[in-house]
Amino acid sequence: MIVTTLKPLDEILESISPYRKILIAGCDGCTQPPRGIREVKTLKQLLELAGQLKGKKFEFKVTSVVKQCDSVLTTSAIKPYVEDVEAVLSLACGAGPQTIAKFFPDLPAIPAQNSHFIGIDDRQEGQMFDSCSACGDCILALTGGICPVTRCSKGLLNGACGGASNGKCELDPERDCGWELIYERLKRLGRLDLIKKFTPAKDYSAKGWRVTP
Amino acid sequence: MSQPVAEPKVAVNINEDYCSRCSICASLCPYDAITQDHDNNIMVLDIEKCQVCGICYSACPAKAIDTIYYSTDSVMKYLEKVRPQYKSDSLVIMCKGSAPDFSEVGKLFGIKDFIPLAVPCVGRISEEVLLGVLVAGVKKINVLACDEDYCRFHRGSPLTGRRVIALNRMLEQLGYGPEAITLKRNSLKVTVDKDLCIACGTCVAYCPYDAPKLESVGGISFDLDACRGCGLCVALCPAFALDLENWERERISDLIPQLLAEMKPPKILVFRCQWADYPPLNGDMSPSIGTIELPCAGRVEAVHVLEALLSGADGVMVVACSEDDCKQEKVSARAEHVVARIKEKLDQIGLGDKIDFAPVSPRYPGQVEEKVREFRQSLEGAKKGTRKGAAE
Repeated sequence: MIVTTLKPLDEILESISPYRKILIAGCDGCTQPPRGIREVKTLKQLLELAGQLKGKKFEFKVTSVVKQCDSVLTTSAIKPYVEDVEAVLSLACGAGPQTIAKFFPDLPAIPAQNSHFIGIDDRQEGQMFDSCSACGDCILALTGGICPVTRCSKGLLNGACGGASNGKCELDPERDCGWELIYERLKRLGRLDLIKKFTPAKDYSAKGWRVTP
Repeated sequence: MSQPVAEPKVAVNINEDYCSRCSICASLCPYDAITQDHDNNIMVLDIEKCQVCGICYSACPAKAIDTIYYSTDSVMKYLEKVRPQYKSDSLVIMCKGSAPDFSEVGKLFGIKDFIPLAVPCVGRISEEVLLGVLVAGVKKINVLACDEDYCRFHRGSPLTGRRVIALNRMLEQLGYGPEAITLKRNSLKVTVDKDLCIACGTCVAYCPYDAPKLESVGGISFDLDACRGCGLCVALCPAFALDLENWERERISDLIPQLLAEMKPPKILVFRCQWADYPPLNGDMSPSIGTIELPCAGRVEAVHVLEALLSGADGVMVVACSEDDCKQEKVSARAEHVVARIKEKLDQIGLGDKIDFAPVSPRYPGQVEEKVREFRQSLEGAKKGTRKGAAE
């Protein structure tokens, strides 16, 4: 999923401060829990409370879009409000405000979330973990299903570097060494032969900037 | 005896002088809180294990157990006091855990007017009360218990079932007809609005009872036999697609301004798990306190807390069972987490001290009062602080 966190409320208040009539748009899409109508309503109430303290009265409208990264779904959801609002505060990942910016050129689109990564939601640990860098050239088949581009701090395609101690990365003692995880996993799968396979430098142009579905 | 008592006052006591050592209490206690001390020939109550269900109280043949909540005397006095308000000779005794709205309760029994008596677990209502109200002139008793396997106190509902059967047999012999006391069972369950569901799986992730199932075709469905009506999924659903009968989001939202309008500052709105603290039957609440009872603290959601603050509450307190006392599956711990997250956000706008989470137990009466007093003092302290700051 896309992992996002709510921006500090001060920052949100600062970015919406030039406007009074604002549409808060949630996104039912990829995050867990989705930043849907509940998050929208909660944020609205928090901003109203903060507004009361600062003597500022906002007029909020609320909606939630099935997927803000989809231009059709987003335009149809936002359109009914366009005449009534001065800005849209988006609870989607970074793609959401950009969809709004692209299809509503006159409407300021303000992010309420910081987008962190494409990650795993590990409920046992109660944490989200960065797991995919969307490099456009997946090599998980060679690395036991663990991405070295993401999980190795150095993004090494051929590891390990030798700097790890007790399975932890030399750059961050709290972080597991990605290549040690790959080694253990390949060993378990009986595919240690794969670790000897050389992966040449990535063709990062494969990541692309547009894709035709 | 004017010295302050070091031992905290407890809600249940065994009076040794009356106790006949029959052990019925020990055999019925769902929590093994009562044991027989053979060496000293006494029954011993471990108050820390006691969940104050009142089953021992209602079953003790020697009336050797005292409880400060819903004792026979207080229930009888209460009924005598409220009876003139109701134009009815029918009484409905209902478990708070399973009773829907009073109008719905009436429909369940096919009656319009009745005298309501809502108690935490009908297992605490003894034969003495049931017969006593008949003697006092009530013509018809209806009892609404939870479904047997849903009873928060495990044995309260089954015990009530046996009690009603036995009493009805006796009453029939006295000419009361075959069903002087009608028993019905009901349990609160989640309701789903499939049109609002976004199939995100949040309920699946958090339900402690594996009640929700999410399928790629067909979306969300709930195994209602597994649902325990705690309301956690309702409080977490990102799409407002879930609700709980009698504790609908709208109903709670409507209650908030109503209560606040009647309160005097500093207004403290308390969201209380109905198992964490038992209010007195007809006690007066402080005019600065308003209480909304919830089926479990898990039903607390940010929307309602913020609504209260926006509607003029000076503080919001969430009263829950301690983690070990939770009648649900560790839901109170989840509630604490939910409240902590709300507090984090309120902290960012300088209102973090307006919310408080208080784990308490009815076994120590007065605990809630104490926590509320502390909270009120901190609210008043904060207020003075800001005023002072402004003056400087």
